[in-house]
Amino acid sequence: MHRCLSFGFTWFGWLAALVTMGAVGIFVGFLGIKGLAALNLRLFFGEASPWQVLLGTQPAVGGLWPACLGTLYLVLLSSLLAIPLGIASGIYLARYASPGPKRLFGFAVDLLAGIPSILMGLFGFALILLLRKTILPQANTGLLLSAGCLALLVLPYLILTTQTALEGLSPTLHVAGLSLGFTPWQNLVHILLPAASRGILSGVILAVGRAAEDTAVILLTGVVANAGAPQSLTDKFTALPFHIYYLAAEHRTADELAQAFGAALMLLLLTASLYALAYGLHAGIAKKWEHTPIIRP
Amino acid sequence: MASGQNPLADTGAAPSLRRAARRETLVRTALLGATLISGLAICAILGFLLYFSLPLVFQGQAGEILAWRWRPFQGDFGILPMVVGSLLLAFSALFLAYPVGVGLCGFAFSQQHHPWGRLVLAVVRLMTGVPTVVYGFVSVFLLVPLVRTWFEQGTGFCWLTAGLTLSILILPTIVLLIWSQLEQTTPETRLAAIALGFTPSQEVLWVHFPQASRGLAAAAVLGFGRAVGDTLVALMVAGNAPQISTSPLDALRTLTAHIALVLATDSTSLAYGSVFASGLILFATAAAVNLALRRLKAPPP
Amino acid sequence: MARFLSASVLIMLMAVLALSAAPPTRAQEAPLTGFNNLEGNIDIAGGTAHIPVMKDAAAAVMKANPKVRITVAGGGSGVGVQKVGEGLVDIGNTGRALTPQEVEKFGLKSFPFAIDGVAVAVHPGNPVGNLSPQQVQEIFAGKITDWKAVGGKEAPINLFSRDEASGTREVFWEKCLKKGPVLEKANIVASNGAMKMAVAQDPNAIGYLGIGHVDKTVRAVKLDGVEPTQENAKSGKYPVVRQLYMNTKGEPKPLVKAFIDFILSPAGGQIIQKHGYILLK
Repeated sequence: MHRCLSFGFTWFGWLAALVTMGAVGIFVGFLGIKGLAALNLRLFFGEASPWQVLLGTQPAVGGLWPACLGTLYLVLLSSLLAIPLGIASGIYLARYASPGPKRLFGFAVDLLAGIPSILMGLFGFALILLLRKTILPQANTGLLLSAGCLALLVLPYLILTTQTALEGLSPTLHVAGLSLGFTPWQNLVHILLPAASRGILSGVILAVGRAAEDTAVILLTGVVANAGAPQSLTDKFTALPFHIYYLAAEHRTADELAQAFGAALMLLLLTASLYALAYGLHAGIAKKWEHTPIIRP
Repeated sequence: MASGQNPLADTGAAPSLRRAARRETLVRTALLGATLISGLAICAILGFLLYFSLPLVFQGQAGEILAWRWRPFQGDFGILPMVVGSLLLAFSALFLAYPVGVGLCGFAFSQQHHPWGRLVLAVVRLMTGVPTVVYGFVSVFLLVPLVRTWFEQGTGFCWLTAGLTLSILILPTIVLLIWSQLEQTTPETRLAAIALGFTPSQEVLWVHFPQASRGLAAAAVLGFGRAVGDTLVALMVAGNAPQISTSPLDALRTLTAHIALVLATDSTSLAYGSVFASGLILFATAAAVNLALRRLKAPPP
Repeated sequence: MARFLSASVLIMLMAVLALSAAPPTRAQEAPLTGFNNLEGNIDIAGGTAHIPVMKDAAAAVMKANPKVRITVAGGGSGVGVQKVGEGLVDIGNTGRALTPQEVEKFGLKSFPFAIDGVAVAVHPGNPVGNLSPQQVQEIFAGKITDWKAVGGKEAPINLFSRDEASGTREVFWEKCLKKGPVLEKANIVASNGAMKMAVAQDPNAIGYLGIGHVDKTVRAVKLDGVEPTQENAKSGKYPVVRQLYMNTKGEPKPLVKAFIDFILSPAGGQIIQKHGYILLK
């Protein structure tokens, strides 16, 4: 009976692996074939000439360029907001917080990580409503709001990876710094953070990937289907993931459909390579510390 | 507060030491500030949801929103069909993905020294990097026509299609959590199992899984949380009809899709309030999932 | 090396071509001068039937006036009213007339610019080409559930409807369904464009959309024998008809006024007609 079960489990494992690989293969193959055919200069710049678009003298009407720029700005802005905050919170939780607050903040961070992204969007939308009703009647949805909500979305990733990276370090490292007469801050800056840098960096990359791909947040906070390159922080903008969502339902011509496939393939390549990089860094850490005796408390 | 705990403060030490002490205090305060901001964010989200949905309760409209019909033109604003839709979709995705995830972990474990096993795990890791909108997009053009022509009934935008797509979306979450549990098994356990003549499959099934039962449960909970919270797949392929689906080929609408669809309508009507009520329900679900995970992670009593 | 050389030559050629591109034609030039010395943003949202026209007009304006930036979003007529009323956008489009309450509450000013009928659409392979309003009402109410009952082949009818914010839905509901019920089972799509795509892909689908969006990927069904064309809509022979409006909160600011004037100009008219709508005059 037991033998039968484990025999069945073996076969089931193979089947599960086969089904998953098959599904992923079909998925990537379908997108790859349809998407590769669409990748060319027109995909990005539409009817306008690339030079004029890059120099800013012409809008890239009908191309992906504004969406690419929008996503780039979103990622940069949200990183700017979230990375310092996230890393600082991670350091605090790993090295400074006493057990009580640590538990409390830990719970809050986990909860934040588990909140559906559409709720971040809803939060941003409600924030604007409130601001308009109270102190800032001209407040409006736009680039900055979206970036702020995205920053909230990626914040827990940054905090958790920083905290884990620091807590995973050997206590001997900590003692080594202190025994040299370092203050806790010097110890952190000169010993602990460099040692944990790969882990923290992998968290940063994951956060960037997440900010680049999320659609639900920007859906409610200022993304529009058709916009040129954003000129200011309060401008409405367009972004790659939303562009894909929009074209999936609304393509009017075969050209637009091809553009959607091209955009989807590009976004997939972008986030997949970011995630691969993050995992690579992470695996590298394990290797690097493999021969260091790590005493866990 | 920080200065009291700082051994270097107020000891009349040399100026350079005092400077260092001041810096320590400053750093500590700055870091605490950053953490407080992060903590405040979560409170702010909950606060806003409450602020915008509590008036419904006080004006006695909660009953109208927690009702079974959504027909805004006739004045019915019930969101219960969406609650059911969210639950149906999340549980069916979990039902599809969980066994596959467990099987996949068994495969990866028994083949962990073989390139195939490592390849499968690497692919699963990369799957976490696929944007949800891309899953939805491919599903619209690949799975929807397939379901429509295969079953010759319905539009293809339905529970089944969304469930299948969502199950692929949550699969890596499940696999990676179970795998992290399997990785934590001690060499002693492994050696004992091998010495007893267990095959890798037997070892996973009779030694590691019972040991990691909490991890297995946590994987299910986390997968469920991820499925409930997803917006784009449901919005793009589930058909969005505000009804209680009775067949997998029926369209359904989830709470997340409801928020995305309705948010922009008239801000005075109940439709608007229903959005924040949906948000509150989603928040409560996320909190429940998180609490369950904490309980599962804590050492057994 | 050779490849690098040829690539750079190609890029240079492209640049030269681009810089020497022909100046805009005169027909476009005249009304676009209204934007002289104006700069800034125009945000547009709302009715989805308007999107193709708004997009093209925005492209033409931005091409001639790089300092003007125009964003176009959808959402539906309800969104248009809401957003322009709250001052979140400059122009809120609606595919229906504003209600007196809406005008009063927000102080909106309407600029109608085109006529558009709302057609019942089915898959082009569907043999059903004519329905009575009665039949359409029963189909959407769920009383008729099989295409055979209205002269088609034996297959279930797949209903597609629009979200609450849709002006197309309101017009269709009022003038064709006579405010009759719509089955909750109906799939909900969020725009005219999405409706067209959904119906074009589903052999058993029935939906409704602005005639301007109808093309050969869907079949627009005759209503009591009347072909749903914009001409019939304008003459009143086809009953399910509405105007398309741009709405502003109070008097539009100069930049927005210039854009509205451009839409209402002959050049704007060409864009409107290109997308299958009929001018008011």
